[in-house]
Amino acid sequence: MKVFLKILKVILTIVFFSYTLFVLYFLGLAPKEKRFKIAGHQQGVYLSQTMFNILTYQNPNYSDAYFEQSVPFNKRGDFATGFQLLNKAVELDPSLHLGYRGYMKLRFLRDYKKALFDLNRLDSLTPNFTDAPWGEDIDFLRGECHFGNKEYQKAIDCFNRNVKNNKEDWVDINTFTYLGMCEYELGNYEKSISEFNRVLKQSENTPEAHFGLAKAYLKLENLDKVNEHILKAEKSIDYKREDPYKEFQNEIYLEEITEFKQKMNQ
Amino acid sequence: MKNKLNLFLLISFLIALVLTIWLNYQVTNRVGDLSFNKEIDKSTFKVCDEKRIPQYYSTKSNYQGGKKAIKKELWKTTEQLNFGNSGFITFRFIINCNGKIGRFRIKTIDSELKENSFDSLKIKTLQASIIKLQKWNAGTWKDKTLDSYFVLNFKIEQGKITDIF
Repeated sequence: MKVFLKILKVILTIVFFSYTLFVLYFLGLAPKEKRFKIAGHQQGVYLSQTMFNILTYQNPNYSDAYFEQSVPFNKRGDFATGFQLLNKAVELDPSLHLGYRGYMKLRFLRDYKKALFDLNRLDSLTPNFTDAPWGEDIDFLRGECHFGNKEYQKAIDCFNRNVKNNKEDWVDINTFTYLGMCEYELGNYEKSISEFNRVLKQSENTPEAHFGLAKAYLKLENLDKVNEHILKAEKSIDYKREDPYKEFQNEIYLEEITEFKQKMNQ
Repeated sequence: MKNKLNLFLLISFLIALVLTIWLNYQVTNRVGDLSFNKEIDKSTFKVCDEKRIPQYYSTKSNYQGGKKAIKKELWKTTEQLNFGNSGFITFRFIINCNGKIGRFRIKTIDSELKENSFDSLKIKTLQASIIKLQKWNAGTWKDKTLDSYFVLNFKIEQGKITDIF
């Protein structure tokens, strides 16, 4: 019995020490890429943040770790902490992280001037290359920045460059939606209509284009067309442009369409 | 020898215990979690499941008509306020499973994205106007409504609120 108890104690001691050593290895000694991946998958959890803190302490130039660590803070509204980390990533590797920072300033802060500054700086660092921050063409994002700044002609130039970069049939159709909106803002209603029609040529079920057409035709007092497109906007609203994280500048809602219809009926 | 073995066992057990408690804390807490604080939170606001409050982007919790509608409804209040400087005010709060809101926390930054402070009375005015908003949609998961965290930003340029998103 005594021998059995002794063996049991030895086994338990080994198990407890092994468990501790495994956790310490997992947190501080496993390959950094492996730890980065695990911490990234646990986004926002304190353990993930602790792992990133250890990673950046051990590897002060690991820009990806600062970048990934910033993500939950910015998504959850703690921009001071999030951008402090993201700024560090940009400082270490500007060409790798400027695009994301510009994207975040555009979509999460609507700080169009600073977003544009980051995107232009990225472009200057990568000559003869069309950047695609966070998967979107840099000229599309720059166009959105100018649109936000109400610099519609500059926005048009960027969106047209995006069409040229990606070709008419392949470009994000929101480029044409924005072109239509810019022309509308400049008072070029006929041109605005032709831009919105470029959207519909690619996808008939685009409520933003139908809503834009209804507004443009209203300016031209073509009420039949207004009614036609406002009904189509309403019918196709389920296909609207939306994102779970942020409201787009050109995002539309059923409530707006309903309100527009009610005003028309008055 | 026997005493040494007992000591090793005790030490290894205590280290493993402390590590497990710490790990449990590390995996059950998240960036941006808002726990109830009786000093600032109304006890009348209840969440439906304190242990499970996901983010707005995982549950599609929102306001009817989007943030555009919030902007429109708050405009009368916001256009009267002047904060003096530029920056951002961010409200983080919970939309509970019944579409009610509460447990507000506020973060403010200047135009360089560094923490700053705006007039707290004016921030309270903003919060009071947010509380009056009635058309919140609770988040959903597998056809069930649930609590979720939500974020609302106010962009301030030269003292004036110029955008809400």
